[in-house]
Amino acid sequence: MAIEKTDVVIVGMGAVGGVMAAELGKAGLKVIGLERGPRLKTADFQLDELRYFQRKDLRPSPKTQPVTWRPNASATAVRLPQLDYGNQAGGGTVHYGAVSWRLHEDDFRARTQTIERYGLSAIPQDSTLADWPLSYAELEPYYDKAEYDIGVSGKAGNLQGRKIEGGNPFEAPRQREYPLPPLTKDQPSILFEAGAQKLGLHPFSTPHAILSQPYKGRPACTYCTYCQAFGCYIGAKSSILVAKLPEADATGNVTIKTGAMCYRINSSGKRVTGVSYYGPDGSDNTIEAEIVVLGTFIYDNTRLLLLSRTDAFPNGLANSSGQVGKHLMTHIMPNVFVAFDDRHVNTYMGPSAQKYTVDDFNADNFDHGGLGFIRGAQISVGTPNLEGGPISFSTTAPPPGTPRWGAAYRDYLAKYFTRFAVMVAQTENLPYADQSIDLDPTVRDQWGLPAPRLTYDWRRPNERATVEFMMKKMEEIGRAMGGSQVWRGPLSPGLPGAHHEGGTRMGNDPNTSVVNKYGQSWDIHNLFIVGSSTFPSMSGFNPTLTIEALAYFSADAIANKYKKSPGPLL
Amino acid sequence: MSEHDESRRAFIVGAVGAGAAASTALVQAAYAKTARPKTATAKIPTSKSPTAAGAPAEHAVEIFEGGHGVFFNDEHAATVAAFAERLMPGAPGKPGATDANVINYIDLALAGAYADQQDFYRRGLAQLDAYCRKAYDQPFAKLSAAQQDDVISALEQGKASEFEFPTAQAFFNTLRAHTMEGMFADPVYGGNKDFAGWKLVGFPGVQLFYTGADLASKEAFTRAPITGLQGRATKGA
Repeated sequence: MAIEKTDVVIVGMGAVGGVMAAELGKAGLKVIGLERGPRLKTADFQLDELRYFQRKDLRPSPKTQPVTWRPNASATAVRLPQLDYGNQAGGGTVHYGAVSWRLHEDDFRARTQTIERYGLSAIPQDSTLADWPLSYAELEPYYDKAEYDIGVSGKAGNLQGRKIEGGNPFEAPRQREYPLPPLTKDQPSILFEAGAQKLGLHPFSTPHAILSQPYKGRPACTYCTYCQAFGCYIGAKSSILVAKLPEADATGNVTIKTGAMCYRINSSGKRVTGVSYYGPDGSDNTIEAEIVVLGTFIYDNTRLLLLSRTDAFPNGLANSSGQVGKHLMTHIMPNVFVAFDDRHVNTYMGPSAQKYTVDDFNADNFDHGGLGFIRGAQISVGTPNLEGGPISFSTTAPPPGTPRWGAAYRDYLAKYFTRFAVMVAQTENLPYADQSIDLDPTVRDQWGLPAPRLTYDWRRPNERATVEFMMKKMEEIGRAMGGSQVWRGPLSPGLPGAHHEGGTRMGNDPNTSVVNKYGQSWDIHNLFIVGSSTFPSMSGFNPTLTIEALAYFSADAIANKYKKSPGPLL
Repeated sequence: MSEHDESRRAFIVGAVGAGAAASTALVQAAYAKTARPKTATAKIPTSKSPTAAGAPAEHAVEIFEGGHGVFFNDEHAATVAAFAERLMPGAPGKPGATDANVINYIDLALAGAYADQQDFYRRGLAQLDAYCRKAYDQPFAKLSAAQQDDVISALEQGKASEFEFPTAQAFFNTLRAHTMEGMFADPVYGGNKDFAGWKLVGFPGVQLFYTGADLASKEAFTRAPITGLQGRATKGA
């Protein structure tokens, strides 16, 4: 067993780990980053729909790294057939669609906002909806840093309180423009924009961490469509792999170990001492560190705490609150499809995920009085499954009356593959304490560790009402776009959707949260847990830019506060 | 190893062991991709010790001439090819599963990336065969197109209740997914022959860039030829 010593060990080299390794390395701390997958290169990535979309290369294998799911605590969990998070250095940002939102101001205070406007009774009784322990204004400089550091293309809609034509009128005030102009509009975006405007809505180009122009030595996007599910073949997508890991290398203070599966956080009383991990050769290794940062996908942030239980923490490390694993949230992602008879729209071109957006029905941007739900969703136009190739198209539901095979289906594919677009609503799913992550009692992964088990069913009254409302809005937009056929996609039987969040929620109260706003454990001051696992509520937006902003925020706190005086930051 | 596997092995060993010109021609005929009928009758040696002295017994079997050879036996290949063709039937100007050589894609996949689904296929095909023989007294590949469609519908709707593992719907869904993969995956995987699937739907494949004019266009994309992964590699892009 090898034992190494370092200042900081970071588990997971994705959106959190890559940012924090680079920032802490720059601050002079010696960092070891553990990554269970490989570190790939831009030259490794092929434009191959079968490999990356259909067979899910770049994702964990459900066979060797299973995650199980059950709709409720009395059901037996089954293995999820596919997993949508990352499995390599750069994490999910390698294959993501690169949609890069800042949350709204009221997303940080969803509970208070709801009570002020609609009264406490508007919040479902069993929901654990909570405000964030930090405000938008506090995080804004870190959003700004993330956008300029990694490279995000978009159009401001609110510059220091001034509304800007062409941007999102509902966005929170930003101190300056995006570093790069929006990506070029494609035919689905043109139709979506015209249709939404006809309905009095406010469409705009979705901000993407994809370079619309060359930036920091990386080339501009070529609109090839191999985006969501793929690694970018020229590095124009601002993944952490290309945008931050080279920066981490350049500090000379960061060592990244790949094929390194952390299986335990080591601790002594109320202090963590490091981590243990299995190497690619099966070796059992230990790193001793002054600070441990957990930056894995939400399943493993929870799982590692539960696996690292001690006499001092019999219910899981850093879990004196009993909140570890609670409040799992996911985006439900209802779809509406639109087919055109008067034109080709060639949806397979351009950025594949969420090309153009309306934010009119997100957050508290509209009056929810009498609607039967709170919060909302962004609605955007794009490709089926956020991926534009024909295999993806073949997995979607044809319009009612068209069979799924045979001559009529063949003719449908032949006619509409290039005359078809999809809308998606990323509905904000409220937190509920019984939506949770724990350890599966029987299923184990390739390392012999218990699989993470999700207990989750989105089909609650608030969420059903949200989905129905958004479906209707998308149908209206589809008709306004000039679609000859507009139809709904099927809904999942309760399964978790995209962008999983929660499990180690942050808060102001050590009794009801796992970490403070810096991601610092309330129980163990040299343990930091960072990522969407700390979100108290999820918003109707993709989480990655917020995850990255929180990583900058935590790194800043460690480098400029904690390092000088180790101890509780709050 | 199934009895069909043994039959194939005996055939190959016999052909090589005999070394006769006739046997060589037979191998070539069995594996040639021709546009002529999908099955051919041939005499093949079936002795389990074909190299032993004495003439091996011979009898007539049908050899499926589709693009397979690494996983499926002839009978299974004929069944899967017929099934795939009903899922994506070809017509003039509209390439189907046979045109795209979907059977070759599935055969290669089951010998490689999907090797863990070999038993799923064997069991599914055995159940399909039993179902068809019970309902029609014929194997699937021998049924009329209308009868094949009725069988597929019964599977899709879960009405073929004799199926245990895989269930009828699971078997249908897998064959459907793999047929679509064989139609639309890059030709490097053995299907989508001559870009048949991409031509059908108008997908230009591996295009390294689209211009602003391409993005805004209301017309079908015709600026560049359809390109696959190996085309890209050849051009060194």
